[in-house]
Amino acid sequence: MMNRLNNLATLQIDSSRKISFIFRGKRYYGLEGDTIATALYSNGIRIFARSLKYHRPRGLYSLDGECSNTCMEVDGIPNVRCENTLLKDAMEIKEQNVKGSLENDKMSVIDKMDWMMPAGFYYNTMHKPAKIWPIAMKQIRKVAGLGTLSPDFKMTGKYDEIFPTTDVCVIGGGPAGMSAALSAAGKGLRVILLESRPVLGGFFEYRLKEYKEGQSFHERARELAAQVEEAENIRVFTHASMIGAYNNNLITGFQIGRESDCFDERYIEIRAQSVIVATGCIERPLLFENNERPGIMQTGCALRMAHTYGLLPGKEAVFSIGHDLGLETAISLYDLGLKISCVADIRREGQDSELVAQLRERNIELLKGSVATMAHGAKQVNKVTIATVNGTASQDYNCDLLVASAGLTPVTSAITVVRGRLKYDDHTGYFLPDQMPEKMHATGRVLGLDNALAIESSGRLAGLQAAFDCKACSIAEIGEAENELEKLPGPTQGTKLVIAPVKGRKSFICFDEDTTIKNINQAIDKGFDVPELIKRFTSAGTGPGQGGIPGHNLPLYVAQYQKLPSISIRSTTVRPPIVPTLLSTYAGTNHAMFKRTPMDEMQREDGGVFRNIGVWQRARYFSNDFSCKAEIENVRSNVGILDGSTLGKFRISGPDAVKALERVFVSDMSKIKEGRVKYSAMCNDDGCVIDDGIIVKQGENDFYFTTSTGRAGSTIEWIRYHTRYDGWDFHMVNLTDSMGVINLSGPNARKVLEKIVDIDISNEAFGFSEYREFKIKDTISVRAMRLGFVGELSYELHVPSSYMKSVWLMLNEAGKEFNIRNFGVEAQNVLRMEKCHIILGQESEQRTNLLDVGLGFLWDRNKPKAKTVGAVALRQAESDQTRLKLVGFKMENSGRAPRDGSLIVDEKVRGYICTARDSFTLKEGVGMALVEGDLTKIGTRLEIYEDECGDDRIYGKVVQMPLYDPEGTRMKM
Amino acid sequence: MALTITCPICGKRNGYEFKFGGEERGPRPDEKDLTPEAWCDYVHMNNCVAGVQKEWWFHRDGCGSWFTIHRDTTTNFEVEKAEAEK
Amino acid sequence: MFSKQKPLWGKKKKLKSSYDVVLIGGGLHNLATAYYLAKNHGVTDIAIIEKNFIGFGGAGRNTAIVRANQRTQHNVPLYKEALDLWPVLTKELDYNLMFNNCGNLNLMHSEAAMKAARTTISTAQFHGVESHLIDAKEAKELVPALNISDDITFPIHGAMFHPPGGIVRHDAVVWGLAKGAAEKGVEIHQQTEALAVGTKNGKVTSVTTSEGVINTKQVLISAGGYSAGLINGMLGIKLPISVLTIQAMVTQPLKPLLNHVVSSGAYHCYANQTLKGEIATGAHMDPWPNYTNLSTAHFIKHQAEALCEFLPCLKGVRFMRIWGGLADMTPDMAPILEGNNHFDGFFMNCGWGYFGFKSCSSAGKYMAEYMATNHCPDMLKPFALKRYEEHKLMGETAALVSYSPDN
Repeated sequence: MMNRLNNLATLQIDSSRKISFIFRGKRYYGLEGDTIATALYSNGIRIFARSLKYHRPRGLYSLDGECSNTCMEVDGIPNVRCENTLLKDAMEIKEQNVKGSLENDKMSVIDKMDWMMPAGFYYNTMHKPAKIWPIAMKQIRKVAGLGTLSPDFKMTGKYDEIFPTTDVCVIGGGPAGMSAALSAAGKGLRVILLESRPVLGGFFEYRLKEYKEGQSFHERARELAAQVEEAENIRVFTHASMIGAYNNNLITGFQIGRESDCFDERYIEIRAQSVIVATGCIERPLLFENNERPGIMQTGCALRMAHTYGLLPGKEAVFSIGHDLGLETAISLYDLGLKISCVADIRREGQDSELVAQLRERNIELLKGSVATMAHGAKQVNKVTIATVNGTASQDYNCDLLVASAGLTPVTSAITVVRGRLKYDDHTGYFLPDQMPEKMHATGRVLGLDNALAIESSGRLAGLQAAFDCKACSIAEIGEAENELEKLPGPTQGTKLVIAPVKGRKSFICFDEDTTIKNINQAIDKGFDVPELIKRFTSAGTGPGQGGIPGHNLPLYVAQYQKLPSISIRSTTVRPPIVPTLLSTYAGTNHAMFKRTPMDEMQREDGGVFRNIGVWQRARYFSNDFSCKAEIENVRSNVGILDGSTLGKFRISGPDAVKALERVFVSDMSKIKEGRVKYSAMCNDDGCVIDDGIIVKQGENDFYFTTSTGRAGSTIEWIRYHTRYDGWDFHMVNLTDSMGVINLSGPNARKVLEKIVDIDISNEAFGFSEYREFKIKDTISVRAMRLGFVGELSYELHVPSSYMKSVWLMLNEAGKEFNIRNFGVEAQNVLRMEKCHIILGQESEQRTNLLDVGLGFLWDRNKPKAKTVGAVALRQAESDQTRLKLVGFKMENSGRAPRDGSLIVDEKVRGYICTARDSFTLKEGVGMALVEGDLTKIGTRLEIYEDECGDDRIYGKVVQMPLYDPEGTRMKM
Repeated sequence: MALTITCPICGKRNGYEFKFGGEERGPRPDEKDLTPEAWCDYVHMNNCVAGVQKEWWFHRDGCGSWFTIHRDTTTNFEVEKAEAEK
Repeated sequence: MFSKQKPLWGKKKKLKSSYDVVLIGGGLHNLATAYYLAKNHGVTDIAIIEKNFIGFGGAGRNTAIVRANQRTQHNVPLYKEALDLWPVLTKELDYNLMFNNCGNLNLMHSEAAMKAARTTISTAQFHGVESHLIDAKEAKELVPALNISDDITFPIHGAMFHPPGGIVRHDAVVWGLAKGAAEKGVEIHQQTEALAVGTKNGKVTSVTTSEGVINTKQVLISAGGYSAGLINGMLGIKLPISVLTIQAMVTQPLKPLLNHVVSSGAYHCYANQTLKGEIATGAHMDPWPNYTNLSTAHFIKHQAEALCEFLPCLKGVRFMRIWGGLADMTPDMAPILEGNNHFDGFFMNCGWGYFGFKSCSSAGKYMAEYMATNHCPDMLKPFALKRYEEHKLMGETAALVSYSPDN
C-alpha cells in the first residue's frame, strides 16, 4: 500500500480508519473517505478498465466520472464509476469487459486491427453473404456492452424520493454557488443548494494556493461553507448530483446517503421559482496519440489525488497543459515530492507571472508553445514526446505520469437541456451562455470567469437576480451588484489548440466509444457534416460518460477539419440524465396502489381469487375451478351474492340536470318515472357506445345513475366536457366510493331479501325494472333495483359503503338456509353472456356503435335539440351494412365453444368471437361474436379460426338472442 | 419539460393534474343539415398549430372544471390571453 | 470497405427549377418512396426537401423495433411486407441494416388482455405471420429476467410471442435508403425548407423552398410529426391528427441480458437490448399535443418504476440518455395515405403515430406505386381519409376510446 501524504488541511480521508474490500477475490484495504478508485490506486492498481472496442488499457483520468475509464462491477452492479464512488466496508469489486485480466486482456489484439474498422464499418460489412449476419451479430453482442448483469440480480439497499419546493435552487456548491445561495438567503428566501461532491467548496476546496493574504483557497471554501451551513433557510444537499432540468424550473437530481442516512440513494425533484447554475468547469481533454494511456490524468485529478486523498499520483511527471491551474498543480505536486521533467504549456504567453516565477524557483523546465504529441508505453505511460504546437521540433521525456489538459470548459448542461442557447466565445474558447431560459441564471466559472473575487461577486449577483424573480429584490440592488462585478477582472484568454500536431489514428476524442480523430475525419468525408450526425455515425459522446470527454472537442474539431469559421461552431446536444442514474433510484419508493371495495377482506376470507380490474381489485373466482361451474349453477338454481361496488355511481341535480342527461344519454331522459329504473347508454361522437347504466329519479331535477366500472373515473369530466359551452346549472357528485353495491341473484333471492327488510317486496309490490328506497332496521338506507343482468330474479342493493359489511352479513345470515354463496366476476360474465347482455369492451370495441350491438332501441331520434353526443353519427351510419354487428351463436354438432378472441373467417377475416363458453345451463357451446353485416342472418354458418388451429376449423351458427330464457320470465318472476 | 397549467379556480399547478381536452372548436353545431364532412371536421380535425393555440383543459385532480388557456405548442408554456390574441 | 471515403448520398447539388416529383421531408418514408420510385418505376427526377438533415426527426429518434403483429387484417399485410423487406433491402442497398430478428414478447396482465391478444395472434396466423400465445412460465424461459410472481402491480398472465419481429438499426435504414436513392439519381437537399405548395385549377404546380421555387406536378408530404401542420398550413387541409412528444431512453451498455423485445401495455413500457448492449426503453407519451421534442422528469421516473417491477434486475442499471421525438397520432392508430384527392398531384403519407419506422419500407414501396401510376394500390386503400367521415375507424386498438390525443 502506498504511503499517504499527511498533514494536509484538504485531506478528506481518515488514515486511522481502514476499510477492507475485495477486489478480484483478494482482500485489500483503503481508508475512510477514499473512493474505490483511490483505494485501488493506493494498492498499486493502475489499469482500471479495458475500452469498449479496442480493449485498450484505461486508467484514472478524471475524478468526477467524465468517462467510463474506471467502470467496474461493484456488489453485482455493473458500470460503477469507481473514481467517484465512495469505498464501503466489504465491497466486492470486479473488473469487467476483459478476457483474462485487466493487465492481460486477450481481446486487446483488436487494438492493432483498427485499420479494419473505419467509422461505421459495420454498415458495410458482415452482410455478404446474408447467412453470416446472424453469426456475426451473436459475436457483436458478446463483445459489445461493458458490464454484466445477472438476470437474477437482486438489488439491496434503500431507495427513497423527495419532492421539495423552494424559492431558489442553486446547482453547484462551489464559491459561486455558495455566494449565490447566501445572497438569495439574505433576502429571506428559501434556498436549496445541490453539490455533487461529498463536501462543499468546488474548485476552491482542494487548493492550498493563497486566496488572499493569510488565507488559502481551501480555507476560504471552508469559511463560505460554514456560513452556508449556518444559514437557516439554506437546505444543503451534498453528494447530490443534478440529473435533469426542465422548463418552469423543475430540477431533478439524486443524493447518495451517508452511513447515518435512512437511504442509500434518493431521487430529488425540486420545483423552484428561480434556478442558479453554478456548475463550474471541467477540463478539456488534450488530443494527441495515446492520450488515454494509464498514467495520463487531468490536472484536477492529479491535484485532488494528492490534496484530497493523500496520494502522490506518480514519481516522475510530465505536464502538458494549457492553463494556469496546470502550472499551479505542477508547483503544488512538486512541493509534495513529485519529480517533474518538464511542463509543456500550449500558450506561448499569458501565463500568470507569479506562477512562472515559482516554477523557475523550483527549476522546473517550462516549455511555452509546446504540447504532448504522443504517449509511449504499452500498458502504462513511460515516455512522452513533447513537440512545439506547430510540430516542428520534438523531444522525448521519461515519466510515469503525464498530467494533460488542453484547457477548461464550463459545465452548461443544466442550461442546454432546458433549451438555453450557448455561443462560442473566441476570447475564452468556451461555449458561454447566450440566451438563458426564463428565471435561470448562470454564475461563476460558467460565465468564463476565473478570478476568485469575480467568481464570488458573480455568485452574489446571481443570488440577487434569483431574488428578483421571487420579487424579493429591487433592480437597483442588482445594478449595484453588477457594478461591483464589473470592477473585477473578467474572463482571461483561453487556449485555441484543438489537437496536437498528429494524424490522429489513436488520438481519442471519445474514450467511452473508442472514437478517434481519424474516425471523425472518415465520417465527415462520408457526408456526415454536422456534429449531431457525426455523433450518430461514430457513436462519439454516446457512452456512460455522457459526453464529458468529447463534448467540447468534437464541435471544435469538426469546425477545424471543415475549415469553418468559429462563429459557426455549435455545441453538441446534451440529454438527461446528466449523470447516469440507477433505475432503483429513479423508481424510489414505488407502491402498487389499487382501490379495494368494502367487501375486500371478507371476500378474500371466503376464498376469492382476486384480479386487477382497472383501478380496482375484484374477486374474479371463488374456487380454483375457473370455469365457475358451481358458482353459475348456484345462481341459476338457488341464490348467489356478488359485490358490485366498483360500479360508477353518481348524483346529478339542478334545474338543467335533465338537459345534461339528454346530451350524453341516447334515450329520452325527460320521461324517467319515479320508482322505475331506466336503462340507457352513452356514445361518443362517432356513435360508438362507450358506456351503459341505469338512471333513477330521486326527486324533482335530482337523479342517481350508474356507469360501468371503467368509466367511473371520467364520467363527470365527460358530461362537463360536452356541456362546456352551455352554461347549464347542474351539479354532480361522484358517489362511487361512498356507495357499495350488492347483487343478490337467483330464484331464491326474494326469499333471502325479505327476511331482512320490512317492506313488501313481492313481485306485485316491487316488480321487475322498478326502484325502491327503504331502510333496513330503521337505520341503513338502501336503494334497491330489480334488474336482470344475469337473467335471474335479481336485486341490486346500493348501500352506503360504511354499512356494506353489515348488510352483507345480514344477507348471508338470512341466506344460510338456502346455502347462499358468493359468485365472482367470471361467473357473472358467463351468466350474462348466456342472457346476451353485453359488457362494453367485451362485446364492443373502438369501431362498435350503439346500433351494432343491438341497443338501437335505446336511442330516441326525436331530440335533435338536445344535440345528443353520438346522434349525428348514428344517423349517418345507420344504413351501413359493412359494419361489424353483434350476433349470438351456438356451436355445430354439440362442439365445444371456441376460445374468446378467435376469428370468424372465410377467405378474409369477417369478425371475431367476443365471449363464448360451454354453457352448463344450456348444455352446449354458445357465445356472442361481432361479424360483418352479411353474416348476421339467423342460421348463418360461422367458420371459426382459432390460434394454432392450422387447417382445422370449427363451426357455429347464428341464433336468436338471448340464448337463455328468451321470454325473460326468470328475471321478471 | 415540466408543464404547468393555470386553473382559473386553483391557480398554477403541475400539468399532470390536468387532462387535455382538444383544440378550441366552438359550440356543437346544429344537427339539421349537417353533412358528414362538416361533422367530421368538428369532431376529428385539428389545426396542429406549431405555436400558440387556444385549447381546453380539465382539472381532473383538482376542482373538476373545464376551461381554456392559450399555450405555445413548441415550448409548452402558457401564454397570457392578451398576448396570444395580438 | 477500405476504399477512400465518398459522400454516402452524393455530392451537394444545386436545386433545379423543376423536378418530376418533389418529396417534402427527408425521413424514412420519403427516402423509401424515392428509392422505389426510382427502382421500380424508373422515376428518377426527384428532389427530397429536408429542413434539417436526413433522419433528423422520428427516423433517428425511434427505438428501432419492427414487428407485424397488428390487430386488423388491413394493417397486418402491410407490416408483414415491411418485415420481409429488411433482409431484401440489406442486400439491394448493399448496406447492413443490422436486422436482429430476435422476436417480440408482448406481456399480458389479465384474462381480458389474453383474449385481446388471441384476436391479434389469430389474425397474424391467418395471414401467415408467426405469433403465439404463451403462458407466464414460457415467457420466463424466453426472458429469464422477467418477474412472474404475483407480488407486482400487474402480475404477468402470459404473453404474445412474435418470433419474426425484432430490431433494425434505424440510422442504417436512413443512410442506406439515402445511398440507394442517390445512386439512382434522386437528389437529397438538406438544410432546405419547404415553404409552400403552389396549386392552380385544383392541380399541384410548384413547391416554394428556402432555396428557390420548384415547378412540379407531383408533391408528397411525409414529414413525420410535422406533416399535419405542414399540410394544413400549406394547403388548408385539416387532418385528424394530434402531434405528441414521445420519449425513449437507454441505459448504460450491458453484456447480453434481453434476447427479445419485451413490452407491456399495462405498464406502458417496452424494453429491448441494442446490439451495443444498451437497454432501450420507452412507450409513454404526455397526452397533450406539442412539438417540443423535450423529455420529462415524470416519464423517466415512470419508466424506472415500471421496469423495476417486471424486470427487477434492471434496478442495478443506470439510465444514460433520454430523448424525445414526435408522434402524429390518429384516433384509430392507423395512418393516412392519400393521393390526388384534394388536389391532383398532391399526396400525403402521415399519421403513423409511433409505427412509422416499422412500416417505412412497404409504405414507401406502395406510395411510389401510387404516385407513379396515379392509381391507389389495394394495400393502401383502407388508409384513406374518408374513413373518419364514415365513422369507420380502423379498430387497430381494441380498447374503447373517447379520443384523448394519445388514445
